Amino acid sequence: MDALVSVKKVVKRYWRGKQAVEVLHNLDLEIPAGQFVALMGPSGSGKTTLLNLIGGLDKPTQGEVIVGGERIDRLSGGQLAKWRSRHVGFVFQFYNLMPTLSAEANVELPLLLTKLSGKQRKANVAAALELVGLTDRRKHKPNELSGGQQQRVAIARAIVADPTLLVCDEPTGDLDRESAEEVLSLLQMLNREQGKTVIMVTHDPKAAEFASRIVHLDKGALVAEPAGVAA
Amino acid sequence: MKFLPLVWAGIWRKRGRAILTLLSIVNAFLIFGLLQGLASGIDNVAKESSAAVLMTTSKVSLIEPLPMGHAAQIRNVPGVTAVTPMVIFTGTYRTPTQYVPAIAVNVDEYLAVYPKVKASAAARQAMRETRNGALVGEGIAKSYGWKVGDTVPIKSVLWVNRDGSTTWPLKIVGILPKGASGPGVMVNYDYVDEGRSQAKGTTSFFMLKTVDPKRATQIGAAVDRLFANSPNETRTITARQMAQSQFKQIGDIALVINAIVGAIFFALLFSVGAVMAQSMRERIPELAVLKTLGFTDGGVLGLLLAETLVFCLFCAGIGLGLAEAAFPLVKQSIGFEAAAGPILFAGLGFAVALALISGLPPAVRAMRLQIVDALAGR
Repeated sequence: MDALVSVKKVVKRYWRGKQAVEVLHNLDLEIPAGQFVALMGPSGSGKTTLLNLIGGLDKPTQGEVIVGGERIDRLSGGQLAKWRSRHVGFVFQFYNLMPTLSAEANVELPLLLTKLSGKQRKANVAAALELVGLTDRRKHKPNELSGGQQQRVAIARAIVADPTLLVCDEPTGDLDRESAEEVLSLLQMLNREQGKTVIMVTHDPKAAEFASRIVHLDKGALVAEPAGVAA
Repeated sequence: MKFLPLVWAGIWRKRGRAILTLLSIVNAFLIFGLLQGLASGIDNVAKESSAAVLMTTSKVSLIEPLPMGHAAQIRNVPGVTAVTPMVIFTGTYRTPTQYVPAIAVNVDEYLAVYPKVKASAAARQAMRETRNGALVGEGIAKSYGWKVGDTVPIKSVLWVNRDGSTTWPLKIVGILPKGASGPGVMVNYDYVDEGRSQAKGTTSFFMLKTVDPKRATQIGAAVDRLFANSPNETRTITARQMAQSQFKQIGDIALVINAIVGAIFFALLFSVGAVMAQSMRERIPELAVLKTLGFTDGGVLGLLLAETLVFCLFCAGIGLGLAEAAFPLVKQSIGFEAAAGPILFAGLGFAVALALISGLPPAVRAMRLQIVDALAGR
């Protein structure tokens, strides 16, 4: 299977004052298209940093990040923004919905950057909300929805522009067990039925069970995966 | 247009704060509209005073009367087409607060000097035939309930009648239409001069019509030369110059108004700027999410500037609209119309400047936000 994501010899350093802190050390990772990958590891292991690099939110200090055949580490800020809008859907731990907008207006946000007509945008939004089972809540503001519902709105927002890659940072970290399972089942369904490649950072081994592959990071490096785990 | 709901939602994110800010901006633009309207109205009064009309007063002072004998000599000056004496005949009606602005003139000559003042041929004829006749403006007639044929007693504040009283009965012979009525009330000079017990055969000043506004100054100089070294020397200036000098007597209104408006906008700049900066700080995670979704740095900058711009224009529109609605009340209290048109454009221009100056710094900070840092709360 062709790799959708290739991370090659990636180093990421941050500066704390005058001191450089290396978060990722010469990291290599390949994720084939259509996989549901759980990135696990202790706090400070570099999971979110790796996720940010793959999602085009940050750039490596060294090395290459190739997604869908494109060297995204070479793109400018503006090019990366456009690339993200076309290819990546993001799901955050705290949903990060716009509090003043209704569920459907939140879902419509990525489509505002496309050339779709108002009618087409509405149709896409309706389809995405139906997929996450929130058609009847489309007019509600985030504070009128439960945590699980808010996260499902965030997932609808992530998929509405039909990206190939879904990047999820602790998507169940703020949810109760029942809501978490609903969200994880939804991500699994999107992976299995819609063919989305899902990369999810999680601390929760139960959440990781929904993934088809689990990648462990520790101190900025990959921990060897057991043979035959990757799907 | 598709971003407008997002912009509008951003404006009302904190409803209470937005309403308070709205009120302060609306208030500032209301004051701006009223004051600038006033200044512009004053300017219009001066501009509307014809440059072809001259005013001849005593060289000594404005209140020193001139002999009526001057009129015939002035009429003979080349370029002068009409001359009317003008005696201030201001008085009150039934109560001291019922003010009646009135002048005593040679009506036919006055109408020749001021062709904008419209009186029907019948009204003019009636004035010629009725010694104590009066032409009154529609506005004052309406407010005191006067109609043609009424005889109304006017108490002059300046002139004592032959019988020793200050009451002058005036017979209304014509109502002049609104906008073309000149002063409030016009009476015959002869009636006042014959009736008054002092300053007989004199006038407060003369108003002259000249053939050409460009030659008005030379014609005025020629008039003044006629009476040079006489006991009644004159000073002749255009009506426009007179209006301007009268307004200057109460100070440089434009400077005072601009200073007040400037102070208001300067204060507003800081308050709106502070609100925008606070709003931006509160929304750092939201702005980071927009960037994550694919909004470019320029897009976020534009979005925040659009918020400030839409908000300031919205508030300015309300404030200027209220000011315009209040202009008729202003006219009632100060006697001339405040001008709305140019003020509206200037106000909207100020709103755009206010939005850009106060909105730009926070918008630039938002543009420079690093997504990863913003999402991590750093």
